[in-house]
Amino acid sequence: MGAVQLTGVRKLFGALEVIKGVDLSIADGELVVFVGPSGCGKSTLLRMIAGLEDVDYGDIRIAGADVTELAPARRGVAMVFQNYALYPHMTAYDNLAYGLRRAGMARAEVDARVRETAALLQITELLPRRPKAMSGGQRQRVAIGRAIVRKPEVFLFDEPLSNLDAALRVEMRSQIARLHQELQATMIFVTHDQVEAMTLADRIVVLNAGRVEQVGTPSEVYHNPANLFVAGFIGSPAMNLLPATVGQGGRLTLAWGTTMAGPACSSGMAGQSLTLGLRPDRLSLVPQAQAQASGQVTLAEHLGDESILHVRLPIGQSLTVKASGDVAARLGDTVHLGFDMTHAALFGADGQAMRSA
Amino acid sequence: MTTASTRRMPPRKSVQTVIYHAAMLLIAGIFLLPFYWMTISAFKNNAEIFARPVTWFPDPIRWSNIAELFNRDDFPFLIQFGNSVFYAGSVALAVCFSCSLAAYSFGCLRWRWRDLVFGLTVCALLLPGIVTFLPVYLGWSRLGLNGTYWPLITPFLFGDAFFIFMLRQFYMGVPRELLDAARLDGASEFRIWWQIALPQVWTALVIVGLFAVVYTWNEFFSPLIYLQDREDFPLSVGLFTFQANRAREWSISMAGALFAALPMVVLFLLTQRLFRQGLASSSLK
Repeated sequence: MGAVQLTGVRKLFGALEVIKGVDLSIADGELVVFVGPSGCGKSTLLRMIAGLEDVDYGDIRIAGADVTELAPARRGVAMVFQNYALYPHMTAYDNLAYGLRRAGMARAEVDARVRETAALLQITELLPRRPKAMSGGQRQRVAIGRAIVRKPEVFLFDEPLSNLDAALRVEMRSQIARLHQELQATMIFVTHDQVEAMTLADRIVVLNAGRVEQVGTPSEVYHNPANLFVAGFIGSPAMNLLPATVGQGGRLTLAWGTTMAGPACSSGMAGQSLTLGLRPDRLSLVPQAQAQASGQVTLAEHLGDESILHVRLPIGQSLTVKASGDVAARLGDTVHLGFDMTHAALFGADGQAMRSA
Repeated sequence: MTTASTRRMPPRKSVQTVIYHAAMLLIAGIFLLPFYWMTISAFKNNAEIFARPVTWFPDPIRWSNIAELFNRDDFPFLIQFGNSVFYAGSVALAVCFSCSLAAYSFGCLRWRWRDLVFGLTVCALLLPGIVTFLPVYLGWSRLGLNGTYWPLITPFLFGDAFFIFMLRQFYMGVPRELLDAARLDGASEFRIWWQIALPQVWTALVIVGLFAVVYTWNEFFSPLIYLQDREDFPLSVGLFTFQANRAREWSISMAGALFAALPMVVLFLLTQRLFRQGLASSSLK
């Protein structure tokens, strides 16, 4: 029903190419999250799917139909915006009803649809209010209601939680996840927040400079990043990326001389320069005798249940360690680190992943 | 020394503040003096107006001047007042409609050469009206519409560079997402302008309307050129011709000027809150 297919989609603003040939298939009922740094083109791509930006090359299909040239209202999509975009001079009721009225729906049917949607989102008491008389969370629920009421094929969310405070963001996140389960509709969600991406997505699309870097489940993207960009972008704190060379017997030699058995290394690769990727939770504080690296703590972030230690090695390399909350290390302390090579990633000189262990 | 238990007193007004306020009062007085002079002159006779020393309050108050103003055969004040209302109202409506549409297009829509066309529109501000006057006048003459209000009102149906420029700034402050939401809801561009964008800039529209009314109410040159009959004149031209023909009747002229100025004062007093709001929000754009 609501499958979305992007083929060779490109977008240029003047001479600047902001979307550089995106091919993507989104299955009916799937919740896909576009994630990437600011300016990577994720919102532009979403707006192209919505019909709010022209497609310069390629085509977009929704539910099998080519919608590339269709007006936004005829694509069967609804969008929730970051700043809610509720019509400020209309009540919540009128905001929800506006699109239905434009579609020529009978007044009784409009009323029934609006009240049904309001009940689903528990915003019935907000219907007579104008947006300025609502809190941020209430506004966002009305904005979601405005999208739901039209019963679209595809829901598009453009960083809808960015303007909410942390507690409300968590609540709205779970509400969106619940809605996805109830409606079983195709949803495309744009965010730069990795937690949102990891918790909501069936699949994550990582974008960088107008290109798709990787498409995969949250677990795949986290544990098996396709390249150095994804490895560095996904995960907070970011993955440690350590320069290494392959020695005789396929063992990895790190920049400070430590050698270890590396994933996906063989004797035939001897002399190659690689990058070893290790998540911060794969580094731990160990006694000096078992250490694979030692360095000085330059920043200790004690978060309660865990501590993030930033450690500088004598050669200048910085490492991030996710330790337990009760660790006593302080700024300036010398610590000894052990590496757990489970889920370690190895990247070739071209930045692409060689294989995950 | 202030202790925790002693209430802090607000800082005393400095000498600079007092001087500042005195200067402002003086400047306000200078601006208000002609208006006050006009008002008291409207209730005096000629001798009292030119009497020395100057009397700052009419004694007696000659209400008969007002009655005479409304009943003179050689000065159809009420008809000319009605002409001014019609002229100013029509221009204000025309300007609000045309400039708002144009400004929406320049501020909210994306189209090829938009910025170039806007630049050319703004360039029209630099062109003195007198430069285009003759060809425009000849054009209206060929159409046989001289002596009517068509040449005075019709041009404003096609916008005004200053008002377009001003309104565009307000339209640029309308969130793009609001318009996108309406597009997704299936509204046409005209409906988006009318139902979504216009309500967001209505204070600006009030200001534009006010400016247009004030400008047209005081406009002298164009009505003088295009209109010939006394019964067709707006007040600006009517007062001038009366003064030119009846140079000695200063009290009637002043009464006419008073009643010509009053609608603008009342209009401003009624809308000053909106006016301030609109100007303040325009400075934030």
